[in-house]
Amino acid sequence: MAAEPFARLADRQHALRTALRALQAAGPGSPEFPALLADTDKEVEAVLHARRDVEAARLTVPNRAIAAGTAVAALVVVIGWFDGWSLLSVLLAVAVAAAVLVDPVGRNIWEPRARTGAIVAALLAVLLTPLAHGWAALAVVAGVAWWAWRTLR
Amino acid sequence: MKNIDPVKALDDKVERLKKDLKQLGDRIDNTQTDAAQQQLSTTNQIRDTTRKIAKTNERVTELADSVHRLERLLVALNRKVRAGETQKADFDTWPEIERSLIAKILAGQEAYARKTFTPQEAKNTRKAIAEYDRAAHEAIDAAEALTTLPPNAEALWRKKYKQWRTVTGKHRPEAPDENEHAKDTAAKSAGNEAVAQARELIRTRIEGAVAQDLLFPAWFENMLGPAAPPGKADDWLYTATDVVLYRVLHDVTSPASALGSPPQEQGHRRTLHDRLIVECADYRKA
Repeated sequence: MAAEPFARLADRQHALRTALRALQAAGPGSPEFPALLADTDKEVEAVLHARRDVEAARLTVPNRAIAAGTAVAALVVVIGWFDGWSLLSVLLAVAVAAAVLVDPVGRNIWEPRARTGAIVAALLAVLLTPLAHGWAALAVVAGVAWWAWRTLR
Repeated sequence: MKNIDPVKALDDKVERLKKDLKQLGDRIDNTQTDAAQQQLSTTNQIRDTTRKIAKTNERVTELADSVHRLERLLVALNRKVRAGETQKADFDTWPEIERSLIAKILAGQEAYARKTFTPQEAKNTRKAIAEYDRAAHEAIDAAEALTTLPPNAEALWRKKYKQWRTVTGKHRPEAPDENEHAKDTAAKSAGNEAVAQARELIRTRIEGAVAQDLLFPAWFENMLGPAAPPGKADDWLYTATDVVLYRVLHDVTSPASALGSPPQEQGHRRTLHDRLIVECADYRKA
């Protein structure tokens, strides 16, 4: 199961290498260069998607685990250090945790790791809440912003 | 003499004023009579003029009718003359204008239409091409790196991918041809010579037709009128030559329409077409 995305990535990388050979042989001045370039571009996209799949396979479980941890920690913080102001950061963190639990890796090519970043930021925020109260929400917002920036670009 | 009695003096004054007033009334009466008389005469004049205008109108209508009859008669006559034995001018077959001459003219027009590079532009384009080639090589190197990167080195993946993307959206500019300029110049001058030669032939034939009073083809008369307008013979001949040359160059064979269907795309042909339409409209009006 885990080997399959790796094998696919190696396959794609091999195909890209072949396409690149053709592209290099043609050279930028040749008439078929634009067509070859378009083909190679497709291969590059395919390689990047294969790599995303590898990343997704690798990060699904950790992301889910961190998200679950965040949810539990949020519960503990809410009960143990209850404070109206702290609810803001805890609720935001729980929202991020729910999103990551539902879909731990996303669909875009840079998204698996971006989601890891976001959920780690959320966990950090929850752990900081007893000290920083509502201000920890800034950490969650920063994590979400980073996630969005990586995903939408 | 001054009157001593003030009442009497006042009476006198009143008397004088009364007289003045009477005089004024008389004058106003006179003026009114005059004005009435004048009005009457003016009305009479206007009535007269209106009658005359009505008559003139009738006359004009009659004249227009007879002009119309004449026109129809002329059309009928024209048809009969065409059907008869009158010799016709032939502006449709040009064995003396060879295919090669036409090809030369068209090549010249193409050369004029082609955008030529100035030396500075050529230099800039070459620079842009070198820039593109460098970017392409870098992008290829980056893509090469993508084939060996381990999957978890995300920062490197991003960097190389970005480098690759710099070249995919761009186009390599067209390379300027060194010999193109010289070739174009040669084609232009050959085209100009060929045009002059063809114009000479066509003009001679049109002049011959005019000299022998030959009947022009229908398309020719449709476009340029039955004859040169007085005082403009040379201009008319010039335009007529262009019309015939246009037909020869662009293979227009329509017997009724001199220029055929108008060209859709911009260019030399379109410019010439539009110019001829305007010029010929002037000649038909004259």
